[in-house]
Amino acid sequence: MLEQFFNPNSVAVIGASRNPSSAGQGVVKSLLKGGVFKSKTNKPFKGKIYPINPKADSILGIKCYKNLLDIKGKIDLAVIVVPAKIVPFVLRDCAKKGVKGVIIISAGFGEIGEAGKELEIEVLRIAKKANIRIIGPNCLGLMRPSNSLNASFGPCMPHSGKVAFFSQSGALIDSVIDWSLEVNYGFSTVVSIGNKADIGLGDLLKWAKEDKKTKSIAIYLEGLTDGKRFMRIAKEVSKYKPIVALKAGRSKTGMKAVSSHTGSLAGSYEIYKAAFKQSGVHIADNVDELFEKAEALASQPPCKNNIAIITNGGGAGVLCADHCEKLGINLAELSFETLDKLDNSGRMHYAYSRRNPLDLVGDALHDRYDIAIDTLLQQKNIHGLIVIQTLQTMTQPILDAKAVLKARKKYPNKPIVTSYMGGKFSRDAVELLENNHVPDFNVPYKAATAMYALIQRYRWLNR
Amino acid sequence: MLIEQKEVLKLLRKYNLVYPKTLIFSESKLESIKLKFPVALKVDSSQIIHKSDFGVVHIGIKDLFELNRHLKTLSTLMKMHNITKYSFIVQEMVKGQELIIGMNRDEVFDTVIVFGLGGVFTEIIKDVSMRVAPLTKKDCYDMIDEIKGKKIFEGYRNIKPIKKERLVEVLMNLSKLAMNEKHIKEIDFNPVMFNEKHITVVDARMIK
Repeated sequence: MLEQFFNPNSVAVIGASRNPSSAGQGVVKSLLKGGVFKSKTNKPFKGKIYPINPKADSILGIKCYKNLLDIKGKIDLAVIVVPAKIVPFVLRDCAKKGVKGVIIISAGFGEIGEAGKELEIEVLRIAKKANIRIIGPNCLGLMRPSNSLNASFGPCMPHSGKVAFFSQSGALIDSVIDWSLEVNYGFSTVVSIGNKADIGLGDLLKWAKEDKKTKSIAIYLEGLTDGKRFMRIAKEVSKYKPIVALKAGRSKTGMKAVSSHTGSLAGSYEIYKAAFKQSGVHIADNVDELFEKAEALASQPPCKNNIAIITNGGGAGVLCADHCEKLGINLAELSFETLDKLDNSGRMHYAYSRRNPLDLVGDALHDRYDIAIDTLLQQKNIHGLIVIQTLQTMTQPILDAKAVLKARKKYPNKPIVTSYMGGKFSRDAVELLENNHVPDFNVPYKAATAMYALIQRYRWLNR
Repeated sequence: MLIEQKEVLKLLRKYNLVYPKTLIFSESKLESIKLKFPVALKVDSSQIIHKSDFGVVHIGIKDLFELNRHLKTLSTLMKMHNITKYSFIVQEMVKGQELIIGMNRDEVFDTVIVFGLGGVFTEIIKDVSMRVAPLTKKDCYDMIDEIKGKKIFEGYRNIKPIKKERLVEVLMNLSKLAMNEKHIKEIDFNPVMFNEKHITVVDARMIK
């Protein structure tokens, strides 16, 4: 299903250009080098690349073809970057050539009004007849880092990861990728869905459900055309893989003035939120939350609602507890047995808090973290941990992180999210955590929000 | 178009939604009445959308004499506003706490059910939850649990608690109505009164 898009052996770029600032050259460069901008994440596409341009003999040093039909080999995927009016003609060539997957980057279709809509319908008719599936039009393209495939004119290849990102905004993708490189965030795929004339969110969700690289799905959404279909598919997919959605704007359809009271209460965003809740889709309030929740859900198991907080700073622990309470996260009571073990460990400070949040006191070294983490996770009704570290002069960020990683291995069903508060002097430890798939957040409320997503996930799966 | 109350009540019966003992008639004077006082008097007319905005809902009427006085006033009011097609509705008064329950059609999600605490506060605080129909029982429980003032269902001061299952039943019935009667575009039960014994749809408005 949709393999022609995510795992092609050959890609043609129809509308490849000699102009370095054009999308037509951007796509060729993305395939050839992995990205337009330089990045260590860039990898050249391993399959065949065929630029098509009737006026050029070569582009970026590789042979250029006048027409798709001049190519002898099989083409799995075609990326179309020609002006909208020409799209039907080149699409007919794709049909003749037996191409089964087409990404139409060109704009000037449904999004510009009636004339564009007609063109879009014509394109769809040609595609349907030839069994061609289409992503777009009016999109950025797609990326599949694990296959070294960047069939887009986005900035560069992102890190390979576990989160599939489907976006109705192409421009947002550009910025998200730029950000993701800074924070080592990885994607199993990034797809710009554009006008979703043919392939929409539903199809992509179904694909992601089966995709082995994808562990969670992040969606940026402006509007749906068939809400019921989305709900049906999301409900099915979310049994297997968590979905997080960020919804922007309010659909015109939901804004119609209604005379009744209930009508005026039913703002369209509220309906979207209701539909998300009913189909097991996590709601993100902003871009940060979209990716933070998606990452936590991709890397950590679902969590029963009873957790503990371990901290070396009283204030940070209280802040985190406040956020937990606001979200409805239960903080487990530490059992007598747990307290006995901690008391008898010989490693606790005499003034340690002896309750949840467990304050290890500022001078805590890694052995204190180690014992506390292990002891709390031994307690049966503690199902997950938020581990907070404030940076004191004696703190051992890397060793503390290792204690967390050890516990992740020992208790694979109990999630841990961390909040290493700080920046410069915690960076190496944070990288260690993130490289080992422990989500870290530099402020406690984000850690609590991520934990909450894991609790919601547990609830959904056990509903 | 506003659906006539006779038809509305028929639909409520069909879907096991309880409403107060009701009398619908067009005479402006009554000799006797089989309902228990106090009663509420309303006018039903497709020419009036918001009854309370129009001064055509009279509540707490204590006896037949008072009822006839109000009937006379209302008849005059109808004449003044050139409203020719209408009938009177008299209902037994129901005690309890107010809820608001409704249904709306959405172009993206089709049928949406809304549930909330009633009264003017619904409009001010917007303490409502909604779900896309058809509802499952779990959806209904979620809707009830999402209400900020949900504590009221557990009883508060002199308010007796109400079993959530009872509320779920009402929501499920409305969901069935909405899914089966596709010609109805909008439903507004406002208020619905609940007490320890009954959940009663006191005022039901439907638009087709």
